[in-house]
Amino acid sequence: MRKNFGELFAGSFKCLPAGCRRYRVGGFALVVALLGLGSAAWAQKLQMPAHEKVVLKNGLTVLLLEKHSVPMISVAGIVKAGGLADPAGQEGLASTTAGLLRKGTKTRTAQQFAGDIDFIGGTFEADAGADYSSFAAEFLSKDSAKGLELVSDALLHPTFPQAEVDKLLAQSVDGVKAAKDSARDVIFEYYEGYLYNGKGYGRPTGGDENSLKKIQRDAIVKFYEGYYTPGNTILAVAGDFNPAETKKKIEEIFGAWPGKAAPAVKEEAAGPMKGKKLLLVNKADATQTYFVIGNVGVSATDPDRVAIEVVNTVFGSRFTSMLNEALRVESGLTYGATSFFSLQREPGPFAMFSFTRNETTRKAIDLALEVLKKLHTNGITAEQLGSARSYIKGQFPPTMETAGQLARLIVRHEFLGLDDNEVNQFEQRIDGVTPEMAKQVIAKHFPLENLTFVLVGKSSEIAPMVKSYAEKQDVKEISAPGFWTGAK
Amino acid sequence: MTRVVFKEKPMKIRWDRQVPLLVLLVAMVGVCRVSGQEYPVATKTLKNGMKILVQTDHSIPNVALYTFYKVGSRNERPGTTGLSHFFEHMMFNGAKKYGPGELDKVMESNGGSNNAYTTRNVTVYQDWFPRTALELIFDIESDRIRDLSFDPKKIESERGVVASERRSSVDGQNEGLLDEQLWATAFIAHTYQWPVVGWMSDIEHWTIEDLKHHFEMGYSPSNATMVIAGDVTPEEVFALAEKYLEPIPAHTPPPPVTTTEPAQLGERRLVVRKAAELPLLMIAYHVPQTNNPDFYALNVMRSILFQGESSRMYQRLVDKDQIALDVESESDNAFDPTLLLFLAQPKQGVDPATCEKAIYEEVERMQSSPVSDRELQKAKNFRLAEFYRQVRTINGRANTLGTYEVFFGDYRKLFDAAKNYSAVSKEDVQRVAKQYFGANNRTVATLVPENEEKGKP
Repeated sequence: MRKNFGELFAGSFKCLPAGCRRYRVGGFALVVALLGLGSAAWAQKLQMPAHEKVVLKNGLTVLLLEKHSVPMISVAGIVKAGGLADPAGQEGLASTTAGLLRKGTKTRTAQQFAGDIDFIGGTFEADAGADYSSFAAEFLSKDSAKGLELVSDALLHPTFPQAEVDKLLAQSVDGVKAAKDSARDVIFEYYEGYLYNGKGYGRPTGGDENSLKKIQRDAIVKFYEGYYTPGNTILAVAGDFNPAETKKKIEEIFGAWPGKAAPAVKEEAAGPMKGKKLLLVNKADATQTYFVIGNVGVSATDPDRVAIEVVNTVFGSRFTSMLNEALRVESGLTYGATSFFSLQREPGPFAMFSFTRNETTRKAIDLALEVLKKLHTNGITAEQLGSARSYIKGQFPPTMETAGQLARLIVRHEFLGLDDNEVNQFEQRIDGVTPEMAKQVIAKHFPLENLTFVLVGKSSEIAPMVKSYAEKQDVKEISAPGFWTGAK
Repeated sequence: MTRVVFKEKPMKIRWDRQVPLLVLLVAMVGVCRVSGQEYPVATKTLKNGMKILVQTDHSIPNVALYTFYKVGSRNERPGTTGLSHFFEHMMFNGAKKYGPGELDKVMESNGGSNNAYTTRNVTVYQDWFPRTALELIFDIESDRIRDLSFDPKKIESERGVVASERRSSVDGQNEGLLDEQLWATAFIAHTYQWPVVGWMSDIEHWTIEDLKHHFEMGYSPSNATMVIAGDVTPEEVFALAEKYLEPIPAHTPPPPVTTTEPAQLGERRLVVRKAAELPLLMIAYHVPQTNNPDFYALNVMRSILFQGESSRMYQRLVDKDQIALDVESESDNAFDPTLLLFLAQPKQGVDPATCEKAIYEEVERMQSSPVSDRELQKAKNFRLAEFYRQVRTINGRANTLGTYEVFFGDYRKLFDAAKNYSAVSKEDVQRVAKQYFGANNRTVATLVPENEEKGKP
């Protein structure tokens, strides 16, 4: 019930060891094979637990992973079309379609669906990111038949009742407004919009106050019918189940989904932006300025991803990182400073993020830029490299401790075309990052001259302080509809 | 995934040292049909009074170590509010062996990470590390419990950090702001009235003497419970505890909080006016402390009212009347009688009074007629699933076992919860609804967007 402060840094993306994902339901990662060894003696060789892949006749990819630690089952799935498939001006269509899956099916009203999933203590949620739509469910093993049937009902038989469409769209518009009451909840929407100039990953996957109003039921039905096909879907089931029985059950209920070809979603990869630009979003009551600085980063399958993870651990993704040391520990300017690469199918953003009181806005941004420069000038030491390796390896196992984490991990790997070596060779790859590789990665992937700045704060106090950062400057009122939809 | 982002946490009971990387469920709900044997716990009380709980799990080569101190903002005084939370930050800023900054550097370079949180009742320190770092962690923990030092320069920079934390969660979060005003209005005598993070003017004025006094008051080993879950054996943990922790002498625990909040004799109301896109509504009711037998019936009632999209409040306010974007309930574990909160995020253009009226009608329905068999069973099924969600990670187990130990006085209550929830009857639910949710016992807080009042969109 409690949602914690972690969202502050997580934004909508936070780099985790196994790669960054815009998958909100939880972390990912790996587990260790016990191999019957005594606990103290076993070698710490990380292994992806055995899992099975089945492609049904209709084209649905099914992944099964047994894990019996608690009597629960987790389901995670991806439909290979997300916000990038939204028609221009109708941003939020994929997200709305996903949100409506449980809001009325051929045999259940929204209320009946809620009653049935709640009664078994289960959960079902669905939403869309830029690359794909996703759904996740969880229930007790004893309720597996009911749980799987509910998932299939939402996925295969949604009816998109007009009243539910209207209700959800109205809620989403208010959701955008409510989010704007908190700078940290929206700064990354502005950042992505401004960085990509309203194209590709710069379009708001959840929509904005304008685009949500343009979405019609017909478009939702068309989106569903076009993209929600078995061949376009990956489904993972992980947890405490009998594999033979479960496979049979899945074939029975999901095998009935008629197969047809889905259109491919065109993704135009964006390279790093040239030059400097700055967007100041005015929030007149702000006592603190939130800022993001960065450029386009790398994709989830970039060959440099492991070295980037190591360097970024040193630079900005742990408590003793260079950024947090400078802005928090040594100067007390902020509660936290961090940096991350959002790893998606195409190059996602790289960002440095922090916040500070209005009066110290200039000082904190200068310091962040200084730390970035220092990374380029001094590189990282052998000691920092060793520490980062230990830290990443030590923090990795708990990210793949539960069935839900594992289900999301294998689905994502399947989507991105990554294999089990992401886990099985993880330690080896981390240990293989040399000082020379680190140096190359810094030069190649940590932008120094070409930077996009986005600030949310009290314009009347901070605008004069930030004039010199970029020649190109834009301003926007936070209460003005939308985030950033492109230069006029 | 934007929609989820917009579901903002409604209130901030807990103040973390840094942004947590692991998502924790602090709200303590537990029920199980499993026996305690599935999660065996070994315990030991050291000669200095510190209690150690060990729960072995070899499924990953990692360990979660939580240390609970029974000291929080309820132990503070006017003028130094927020000191417990500030002190929590200072526990990372240098001791005798590990000087300023060294604790984090050493821990991270050995694969570990840490955090801490402070509530009105407790201060909790968290370490997550590979099992190879076990002895090192004991060395670090013992160093700061025994020989914490206070560097005046660190105090000043940390003051800035906490001020930024406050700006971020109170100034920059309407829920945080309204919540703070609500507690300050609902309590007139008890120390629960001030915010855990402290008033800004107190943050600006704490002294090194205040910190030293707080350390002496709250940080006796006899005031602490340590819970270790993960790839360890009780034997090795107890041996390390004897070596590193047992020699630390016990001293006087914090003086008891003797103030009892007088019964509330009529509704209290408050309004916060500020620039905002949307209004907010919070309603607080005085309820008993966590170890009161009504804990279970109250949780069942909350589940029926708020849990899931089939809950009564969601169905009424979000689905049927479409007057709210979201409706939730919050409470935190407490040693003394505390508050149970209802929160509603009204939709744009909806008067919060409309949401308030609908909420009261649902409360009255709960008071006047029994809930259905299916609703009661649904609440119990939810509590069972919730139990497994809490114990499926070593982190969740360390936190949940420690929370039961501290707030119920016995971690085994976690394994009795099944029995206690299944004993809740429809009559119990109706009785607590009548007993605690009357108009005289409530405080109502409303945030009114100023721009809206001026007629701006």
